[in-house]
Amino acid sequence: MDGFIAAGIIGIGLGAQYALLALGFTLIFGILGVVNFAHGGFYLVGGYIAYAMVGMAGWPYPAAVLVAILTTGALGYVVELLLVERLVNDELATMMLTLGLYLMMSTTVLVIFGPESPEFIFPVSGTLRGKGFYIPLANLVVLSVCVLAIGAVYLLMYRTGFGRALRALADDRTVAMAQGIRPRLLFPVAFALATALAALTGALVTPILTLSPHAGDAVLATSFMVVILGGLGSIVGATVAAFIVGLVEAYSSVYLGGSKGALALFVLVLFILVVRPSGLFGREVRGA
Amino acid sequence: MAGPVAVRKVGTADVAAVLLCAIGFFVPWLTQNLFAYSIVNQILIAVVAASSVFVMLRMNLLTIAVPAFMAIGGYAAAVVALTGVTNLLALVLVSFLVPALVALPLGALVLRLRGVYFVLVTYVFGEILQLMLFETPSITGGSNGLAGIPAASLFGVALTSSRDGLLIAAAVAVLAVLITAVVCQHFWQEFAAIDENEVLAQSLGLVVWRYKALGFVVAGGLAGLAGFSLVTMLLTAHPSSFASLSSVNYIAYAIVGGRTSILGPVLGSTFLVTASNFFGSKGEYSQGLFGLLIVLVITAARGGIVGTAASVLRRGGSPAPAAARSESEQHGPA
Repeated sequence: MDGFIAAGIIGIGLGAQYALLALGFTLIFGILGVVNFAHGGFYLVGGYIAYAMVGMAGWPYPAAVLVAILTTGALGYVVELLLVERLVNDELATMMLTLGLYLMMSTTVLVIFGPESPEFIFPVSGTLRGKGFYIPLANLVVLSVCVLAIGAVYLLMYRTGFGRALRALADDRTVAMAQGIRPRLLFPVAFALATALAALTGALVTPILTLSPHAGDAVLATSFMVVILGGLGSIVGATVAAFIVGLVEAYSSVYLGGSKGALALFVLVLFILVVRPSGLFGREVRGA
Repeated sequence: MAGPVAVRKVGTADVAAVLLCAIGFFVPWLTQNLFAYSIVNQILIAVVAASSVFVMLRMNLLTIAVPAFMAIGGYAAAVVALTGVTNLLALVLVSFLVPALVALPLGALVLRLRGVYFVLVTYVFGEILQLMLFETPSITGGSNGLAGIPAASLFGVALTSSRDGLLIAAAVAVLAVLITAVVCQHFWQEFAAIDENEVLAQSLGLVVWRYKALGFVVAGGLAGLAGFSLVTMLLTAHPSSFASLSSVNYIAYAIVGGRTSILGPVLGSTFLVTASNFFGSKGEYSQGLFGLLIVLVITAARGGIVGTAASVLRRGGSPAPAAARSESEQHGPA
């Protein structure tokens, strides 16, 4: 029973991280209609910037996280404005473009920081022990920051005029534009927001997990799975699906071991893609 | 309608592509250098894998499952060879047909959906297959892979030397380019209609998903051929040869070369494989070069090497305008 609770806690922690990642990915798809293959790259850049600020410049960790978020967000803004914007209506071209960008980002990291995983340790140590479970404090901090960030994204998307404008663009770009909403101004901001979320996750999670030039690959895989499961472009779907994936991953690694859990999850995702492409909580599939 | 001009133009490029691959047959007479053998062999495998990406790109679809189908083809041929059937023709046939048969139900189900979903499905399929290779050790040897595969034979003669391996790779590459050229030529109008405007094509009575599924089946078979060549070169079928991320390389070969004719993937593979060999021990850096070239092609020279060269020649030296849909120009007079 103890193991069951512990795995559940780990699963919820994973779910919160995945939710933060998948929110950025699904925002970009929902609003711009772009499948962002570079999402893992922004996670990677966020992680490495935070590492460089802490490990090389000696900044305090929270400040480093903030720098990572702002720098990566700015990078996302520029990338959207200069590259993605011109091709935003061409699904295939934007996929290939972001794929190319991802390769450039991971290679840049490789050239600057080398192939070895740098030592990047979360500043908070120690564990919280309770009846039948114990959690590293670091995971608890990450979990609370993730939950706060997810809450902030929800408030932004559902309680502000900016969020309403973004959701309008996601629903029907032509009608939204006729109402005076300007995608040329909002798309770069949305992209920056999504990449900043990826960077926040990267800066928070890489000290607990690992930081390596290939860390982005797994992030992309997870984002794909979560977003397919929840429905491409759906914010609520991505959040719920993230916790499902996190819990399934945690329990299967405890009770099944090896890669069987991952295999089961992928087969489930393939099945959902084929029979219900709009995902578990999907809204109408965007466009035609 | 694609006019006769377009058809003739494509014909020349197809012939050039086949001839370029056929050069592989003569390499053993030109040099005995094993490093040169290795590079040419890699190029010939890359050409086949890139042609799989190319077929899908003709219909404006991106596939990430090339390594997965390569694995199916490569492992199928290895398993057959291990049972004692080493006839080269039989192995080539197996490595084409088995992945094509796997692609058929998958394509028929998934290609009714939009392009984005197709990409995601190929991605998920690739991940599943990679895990399956590890989870089915009784067939695939699990993480050890399959070793000790007997060499292919032709008319009772075992083809064992690295020179023979090169000749096999050249033959497979010529075959793959021919298949690609014939399929793309035969379904030129259907593929072009899907590429240009799928909704319009559908409204005019084209059963779009059928042609997409057909292309996917052929692309699966082509990838299988590439897998066979790879297994022949490495003398072993191992999961690490078919890592999902290597699909990025094949996509780069096809896009950078140009998606207007099969000559594009052939030139793209030649150029990029040669370039990545120059990085030597820093082989991982070549990924950055591929990424940069993809971004350049997508943002500035949509026709890739072949398309850009063609439009430069046609305009008497003036470069193609940035981001022009040069591939639509390549389709001939509208």
